[in-house]
Amino acid sequence: MSGAALMVTMLVVGALLALTLAVVRLWRGPTAADRVVALDVVFSVNVVLSAAAALGTGRALFLDLAIGLAAIGFVSTIVWARLVAGATEEEP
Amino acid sequence: MTLAAFLVAGGGLALLVIAALGLHVLPDALTRQHAATKSVTLALGLVLAGVGLYAGDAGTWVRILVIVALLVATLPVASHMLARAAVASRNRPEELAAAPRYRSSSPTSTGPTR
Repeated sequence: MSGAALMVTMLVVGALLALTLAVVRLWRGPTAADRVVALDVVFSVNVVLSAAAALGTGRALFLDLAIGLAAIGFVSTIVWARLVAGATEEEP
Repeated sequence: MTLAAFLVAGGGLALLVIAALGLHVLPDALTRQHAATKSVTLALGLVLAGVGLYAGDAGTWVRILVIVALLVATLPVASHMLARAAVASRNRPEELAAAPRYRSSSPTSTGPTR
Protein backbone atom coordinates (compact mmCIF):
# COMPACT_ATOMS: atom_id res chain seq x y z
CA MET A 1 0.00 0.00 0.00
CA SER A 2 1.48 3.32 -1.04
CA GLY A 3 1.70 6.35 1.18
CA ALA A 4 -1.16 8.24 -0.43
CA ALA A 5 -3.47 5.24 -0.23
CA LEU A 6 -2.58 4.76 3.44
CA MET A 7 -3.27 8.43 4.14
CA VAL A 8 -6.61 8.33 2.31
CA THR A 9 -7.60 5.12 4.12
CA MET A 10 -6.74 6.65 7.49
CA LEU A 11 -8.72 9.81 6.72
CA VAL A 12 -11.77 7.91 5.43
CA VAL A 13 -11.86 5.43 8.33
CA GLY A 14 -11.56 8.17 10.98
CA ALA A 15 -14.09 10.38 9.23
CA LEU A 16 -16.59 7.52 8.85
CA LEU A 17 -16.25 6.70 12.56
CA ALA A 18 -17.00 10.31 13.49
CA LEU A 19 -19.79 10.43 10.88
CA THR A 20 -21.44 7.34 12.39
CA LEU A 21 -21.38 8.84 15.88
CA ALA A 22 -22.76 12.16 14.60
CA VAL A 23 -25.53 10.47 12.58
CA VAL A 24 -26.56 8.42 15.61
CA ARG A 25 -26.89 11.65 17.58
CA LEU A 26 -28.74 13.23 14.64
CA TRP A 27 -31.15 10.29 14.65
CA ARG A 28 -31.72 10.01 18.39
CA GLY A 29 -31.17 13.56 19.70
CA PRO A 30 -33.86 14.35 22.26
CA THR A 31 -34.25 18.01 21.28
CA ALA A 32 -34.03 19.76 17.94
CA ALA A 33 -30.93 21.65 19.17
CA ASP A 34 -29.09 18.32 19.53
CA ARG A 35 -29.89 17.53 15.93
CA VAL A 36 -28.58 20.90 14.73
CA VAL A 37 -25.33 20.34 16.68
CA ALA A 38 -24.96 16.90 15.10
CA LEU A 39 -25.62 18.38 11.65
CA ASP A 40 -22.74 20.80 12.19
CA VAL A 41 -20.44 17.85 12.94
CA VAL A 42 -21.70 16.04 9.82
CA PHE A 43 -20.74 19.00 7.65
CA SER A 44 -17.29 19.14 9.27
CA VAL A 45 -16.78 15.42 8.58
CA ASN A 46 -17.76 16.05 4.95
CA VAL A 47 -14.96 18.61 4.68
CA VAL A 48 -12.52 15.90 5.82
CA LEU A 49 -13.94 13.39 3.32
CA SER A 50 -13.63 15.96 0.55
CA ALA A 51 -9.99 16.59 1.47
CA ALA A 52 -9.41 12.82 1.37
CA ALA A 53 -10.98 12.72 -2.10
CA ALA A 54 -8.65 15.51 -3.21
CA LEU A 55 -5.64 13.57 -1.94
CA GLY A 56 -6.82 10.27 -3.41
CA THR A 57 -7.56 11.53 -6.90
CA GLY A 58 -4.85 14.21 -7.02
CA ARG A 59 -7.39 16.82 -8.12
CA ALA A 60 -7.49 20.14 -6.27
CA LEU A 61 -11.10 20.49 -7.45
CA PHE A 62 -12.25 18.57 -4.38
CA LEU A 63 -10.66 21.21 -2.14
CA ASP A 64 -12.81 23.84 -3.88
CA LEU A 65 -15.72 21.55 -3.04
CA ALA A 66 -14.58 21.60 0.61
CA ILE A 67 -14.65 25.42 0.56
CA GLY A 68 -18.24 25.30 -0.65
CA LEU A 69 -19.13 22.66 1.95
CA ALA A 70 -17.71 24.80 4.75
CA ALA A 71 -19.70 27.83 3.59
CA ILE A 72 -22.96 25.87 3.11
CA GLY A 73 -22.48 24.15 6.47
CA PHE A 74 -22.13 27.50 8.19
CA VAL A 75 -25.24 28.93 6.53
CA SER A 76 -27.35 25.84 7.21
CA THR A 77 -26.25 25.73 10.85
CA ILE A 78 -27.16 29.40 11.32
CA VAL A 79 -30.55 28.95 9.66
CA TRP A 80 -31.49 25.81 11.60
CA ALA A 81 -30.28 27.29 14.89
CA ARG A 82 -32.33 30.44 14.33
CA LEU A 83 -35.34 28.31 13.39
CA VAL A 84 -35.02 26.17 16.54
CA ALA A 85 -34.46 29.19 18.78
CA GLY A 86 -37.33 31.14 17.24
CA ALA A 87 -39.76 28.23 17.30
CA THR A 88 -39.43 27.81 21.05
CA GLU A 89 -39.01 31.46 22.01
CA GLU A 90 -42.35 32.46 20.55
CA GLU A 91 -44.30 30.03 22.71
CA PRO A 92 -46.26 31.78 25.44
CA MET B 1 7.69 15.42 5.64
CA THR B 2 5.51 12.36 5.08
CA LEU B 3 5.81 11.24 8.69
CA ALA B 4 4.90 14.76 9.88
CA ALA B 5 1.86 14.70 7.57
CA PHE B 6 0.70 11.38 9.03
CA LEU B 7 1.22 12.56 12.61
CA VAL B 8 -0.61 15.87 12.10
CA ALA B 9 -3.51 14.33 10.19
CA GLY B 10 -3.77 11.43 12.65
CA GLY B 11 -3.91 13.85 15.57
CA GLY B 12 -6.63 15.83 13.82
CA LEU B 13 -8.62 12.67 13.12
CA ALA B 14 -8.32 11.59 16.75
CA LEU B 15 -9.65 15.00 17.81
CA LEU B 16 -12.52 14.68 15.31
CA VAL B 17 -13.52 11.27 16.68
CA ILE B 18 -13.26 12.61 20.25
CA ALA B 19 -15.50 15.52 19.28
CA ALA B 20 -18.06 13.09 17.83
CA LEU B 21 -17.80 11.01 21.01
CA GLY B 22 -18.49 14.18 22.97
CA LEU B 23 -21.89 14.33 21.30
CA HIS B 24 -22.73 11.16 23.23
CA VAL B 25 -20.80 11.68 26.47
CA LEU B 26 -21.93 15.22 27.27
CA PRO B 27 -25.35 15.52 28.89
CA ASP B 28 -27.34 18.14 26.94
CA ALA B 29 -27.36 20.30 23.81
CA LEU B 30 -25.75 23.33 25.43
CA THR B 31 -22.67 21.34 26.41
CA ARG B 32 -22.66 19.29 23.21
CA GLN B 33 -22.17 22.39 21.08
CA HIS B 34 -18.77 22.85 22.74
CA ALA B 35 -17.65 19.48 21.40
CA ALA B 36 -19.20 20.17 18.02
CA THR B 37 -17.56 23.51 17.35
CA LYS B 38 -14.43 24.27 19.38
CA SER B 39 -12.60 21.00 19.02
CA VAL B 40 -13.80 20.50 15.45
CA THR B 41 -12.12 23.79 14.51
CA LEU B 42 -8.76 22.48 15.70
CA ALA B 43 -9.41 18.99 14.28
CA LEU B 44 -10.21 20.27 10.79
CA GLY B 45 -7.21 22.61 10.90
CA LEU B 46 -4.89 19.73 11.78
CA VAL B 47 -6.36 17.34 9.19
CA LEU B 48 -6.16 19.93 6.42
CA ALA B 49 -2.60 20.84 7.46
CA GLY B 50 -1.71 17.15 7.23
CA VAL B 51 -3.22 16.92 3.75
CA GLY B 52 -1.29 20.05 2.74
CA LEU B 53 1.96 18.64 4.13
CA TYR B 54 1.42 15.44 2.18
CA ALA B 55 0.43 17.05 -1.12
CA GLY B 56 2.87 19.92 -0.72
CA ASP B 57 2.05 22.05 -3.75
CA ALA B 58 1.11 25.72 -3.67
CA GLY B 59 -2.43 25.37 -5.03
CA THR B 60 -3.36 22.93 -2.27
CA TRP B 61 -1.93 25.20 0.41
CA VAL B 62 -3.83 28.25 -0.90
CA ARG B 63 -7.12 26.34 -0.87
CA ILE B 64 -6.41 24.92 2.58
CA LEU B 65 -5.67 28.40 3.93
CA VAL B 66 -8.97 29.63 2.47
CA ILE B 67 -10.87 26.74 4.10
CA VAL B 68 -9.19 27.24 7.49
CA ALA B 69 -9.79 31.00 7.38
CA LEU B 70 -13.45 30.37 6.55
CA LEU B 71 -13.80 27.86 9.38
CA VAL B 72 -12.10 30.08 11.95
CA ALA B 73 -14.32 32.98 10.90
CA THR B 74 -17.59 31.03 10.89
CA LEU B 75 -17.44 28.30 13.55
CA PRO B 76 -17.45 30.68 16.57
CA VAL B 77 -20.58 32.32 15.14
CA ALA B 78 -22.13 28.89 14.64
CA SER B 79 -21.18 28.01 18.22
CA HIS B 80 -22.95 31.09 19.51
CA MET B 81 -26.08 30.39 17.47
CA LEU B 82 -26.13 26.74 18.57
CA ALA B 83 -25.85 27.84 22.20
CA ARG B 84 -28.77 30.21 21.70
CA ALA B 85 -30.82 27.43 20.15
CA ALA B 86 -29.90 25.06 22.98
CA VAL B 87 -30.83 27.58 25.66
CA ALA B 88 -34.08 28.45 23.93
CA SER B 89 -35.10 24.81 23.46
CA ARG B 90 -34.76 23.93 27.13
CA ASN B 91 -38.15 23.03 28.46
CA ARG B 92 -37.61 23.29 32.21
CA PRO B 93 -38.48 26.82 33.30
CA GLU B 94 -36.15 26.95 36.29
CA GLU B 95 -33.19 26.26 34.00
CA LEU B 96 -34.48 28.79 31.52
CA ALA B 97 -34.68 31.39 34.30
CA ALA B 98 -31.07 30.70 35.30
CA ALA B 99 -29.81 31.01 31.72
CA PRO B 100 -28.68 34.37 30.30
CA ARG B 101 -31.43 36.31 28.58
CA TYR B 102 -30.97 37.57 25.07
CA ARG B 103 -34.11 39.63 24.69
CA SER B 104 -34.30 41.43 27.99
CA SER B 105 -36.54 44.47 27.74
CA SER B 106 -35.01 46.31 30.69
CA PRO B 107 -31.41 46.29 31.97
CA THR B 108 -32.55 45.19 35.43
CA SER B 109 -33.90 41.83 34.29
CA THR B 110 -30.58 40.01 34.24
CA GLY B 111 -31.68 36.81 35.92
CA PRO B 112 -31.99 35.48 39.45
CA THR B 113 -28.35 35.93 40.40
CA ARG B 114 -29.06 38.99 42.56
